[in-house]
Amino acid sequence: MSASAPASFDLREGGEARPRHLGHRLAHSSLLRVLGRRLLAAIPVMWGVTFLTFLVMNLVPGNVARSLLGATATPAQVNAYQAKLGLNHSFFVLYGNWLGNLLQGNFGNSYSSHAPVTSTIAAQLPVSFELIAYAFIISLVISVPLALLAARRPNGIIDRLSMTFSMAGVSVANYVLAVVLVWVFADVVSAFPAIGFVSIGTNFGENLRSLTLPAIAVGLPLAGFYTRLLRADLLEQLQREDYVVTARAKGIGPWRVIVRHALRNSLFGLITVIALNFGTLLGAAVIIEQIFSLPGLGNGLIQAISNHDTPVIEATVLIFALMTVGGNLLADILYAVLDPRIRYGSTTE
Amino acid sequence: MAAQPSSAGVAGAIALPLGDQPAAPAGRLRRTLKITVPAALLLLIFALCFLGPLIFAVPSPTFTNILDANEGLFSPHHLFGTDQVGYDILSRILYGGRASLEIALAVNGIGMVAGGFFGMVAGYIGGWRDAVMMRFIDVLIAFPGIVLAIAIAERLGPSEFHVILALTVFSVPAFARLSRAATLRVREETFIVAARLSGTRTNRVLLRHVLPNILPQLITFNLLGMGIVVVLEGALSFLNLGIPSPLPSWGNMIASGQTVLTAEPRLVILPSIALFLTVLSLNLLGDGLREHWSSR
Repeated sequence: MSASAPASFDLREGGEARPRHLGHRLAHSSLLRVLGRRLLAAIPVMWGVTFLTFLVMNLVPGNVARSLLGATATPAQVNAYQAKLGLNHSFFVLYGNWLGNLLQGNFGNSYSSHAPVTSTIAAQLPVSFELIAYAFIISLVISVPLALLAARRPNGIIDRLSMTFSMAGVSVANYVLAVVLVWVFADVVSAFPAIGFVSIGTNFGENLRSLTLPAIAVGLPLAGFYTRLLRADLLEQLQREDYVVTARAKGIGPWRVIVRHALRNSLFGLITVIALNFGTLLGAAVIIEQIFSLPGLGNGLIQAISNHDTPVIEATVLIFALMTVGGNLLADILYAVLDPRIRYGSTTE
Repeated sequence: MAAQPSSAGVAGAIALPLGDQPAAPAGRLRRTLKITVPAALLLLIFALCFLGPLIFAVPSPTFTNILDANEGLFSPHHLFGTDQVGYDILSRILYGGRASLEIALAVNGIGMVAGGFFGMVAGYIGGWRDAVMMRFIDVLIAFPGIVLAIAIAERLGPSEFHVILALTVFSVPAFARLSRAATLRVREETFIVAARLSGTRTNRVLLRHVLPNILPQLITFNLLGMGIVVVLEGALSFLNLGIPSPLPSWGNMIASGQTVLTAEPRLVILPSIALFLTVLSLNLLGDGLREHWSSR
C-alpha cells in the first residue's frame, strides 16, 4: 500500500475505476515527472521485447541453415553454412551481438537479398504508416458523426442502426472484408485497383486510389469499435455529468450540448484509445498489405517468412512491438496531458 | 454460475450505457432475447460442426475427384458445390469450423485458467511483486496479436497444435490483464476485507471470494476472446501458417478461393459467412451476458 510502488499501466482496463484520493496526495507532482516515470517504466519492457523476439526466433526448433539449404543438405554442409552466417555460437553470445548492433541501428543483412535490413525497413515504413493514417481517418469520419447522431436520441432509429453497424464492424475479420471489397469494387464495378501500389511521390491521386480499398478494410471494423466506444461515453457524459446539467439549464440547445460540451470530453478518451490501437492496426496491416500487394512492413514480414530470412523477421517483429510500446506510452502521456484531473505518481498498491 | 452480485459491477472494457428499464416486461424480454438468440445460434454452429458430419453423410473434406470439380450450388451430391479441385465445400466448412472452434476453446481455456490465475494473484498481492509480474505481461502484450503468432507458427511449422501454442501466447496476457484489473476493483470491497481480517487464508479468499466475483468478467471476455481467436486462426491459415492444407480451415478456404474470386465468388463468400456468423454470435452473446450481469 505504499505510494512509492512503481506506477503500473492499467489504464486500459478499469484504470478509472480506481480511487483517486491516493493520487491527490501527489497532485503537486509535475507533468514532467510523470512523463519521466512512464519512460523509465517502458525501458525494461522494451528490453524484454528484444529478448523475447530473439528467443522465439532462435530457440524454437528449426534450423535456419537447414531450411535455407533444403532437405538434401548434408550435416557438414549445414555446419559450414551456419559458420558462414555467424550462427555457430551460444545463444547469449548471439543475442549480445545482435543487441549491440541493434543499438547502433544495425539490423544485419538480409539472407535473401543481402541488402542491409535497416534500409529495406526504412523503405517499407512510410507505406504502412500511410495505410494506417488513411484507415484512422476513415474510421473517425464514420464513427464520430454516427456516435453523435446515436447519442442524440438513445434507442432511436439511428441509434439502433449505428449499433447494428458497429456490431457487424467488430465481428467482421478484416481479411474477409478485404476480399469482399476486392470482389465488389475491383471485379464487379472496376472502381478501384485490386492490387498494386503507386508511391506518393509518383502520383498522389493514384496513390490514394491504390490505398482506398485496403484502408477501408482496416478502417471499417475500427469505425465499428470507435462508434460503440464514443456513443457509450457520450451517453455517460450526458446522463451523469454536472456540467451537462448546467449547460442545459442555461438553455443551450441539445446539439450544442452534445458537440461543444460532451464530445469535447469524450474525445479525450477516444484519443487515448486510438494511441493504444496503434499496435493492433500494425498487426491488421500485415495481412491486408499481403492481400493488396502493398510494399509495406507487413508484406515484407510475410515474404521474409517464406524465405526463412531470420534477420528481416527479427527486425520487423521487433519494430512492430516497439511501435506498440510507443503507442501505449503515447496513450499514457496523452491521458495525463489532456485530462488535468489525472495526476499519475501514485497507485493504489 | 455461483457469482455473487458485485457492487463494483462487471461492465468490461466498453461500459454499456444506461437506458433500459429493468422493471418493464418488454425490456426484460428484449434482454432475454439478447442472450438466447445468439446462444441458440452458437449452439447450432457447434452442433453442425461437431455432430453434423455424423448425422448427414457429407463427403470427406479431403477427398477430391477432379471430375467433380467446380460443381455449382445445390448440385446432387454436393449441397454447396465443389471447389476448383473437387473438394466438397459444405464438408470443408463443417470440418474447418470444427478446427476453428477447437482452437478457440483450447486457446481461451488455457488463457482463462493460466492468465486469469496469474492476474488474480498479481492484483491481490499487489506491491513490487505485482509490478514485476505485470512487466512480463507488458512484454507479451507488446506484440501485436498476429505478429508474434506468425513468427512462432513459422518456426514451429503449420499444425493445429502449433496454432494453439502460438495463439496462447496472446490469450494468456490478455486474460491476466483483465483478471488483475477486476481483482483490483473487488480487492477493497467490504466482504473481502472482512474475510481477510477474520483470518481467512489467502488461498481461500482468492478462491471463494475474489474468483466468484471476477468470473463473470472472465467468462464474458472468454466469448469475445473466442471471436478474436477464430479470426486470428483464420488469418494464420489464410497465410498458410495455420491448418496445413489439404486439411480444411475457413482461413485457407478463403485464401484458395481468392485466386478464382472473379469466376467463383461463392468459394470465398460461403466460408466468410460461416466465419462472420460465428464471430457475430460470440460477440452478441458476450455483450448480452455483460449487460445481464451488470444490470443485476
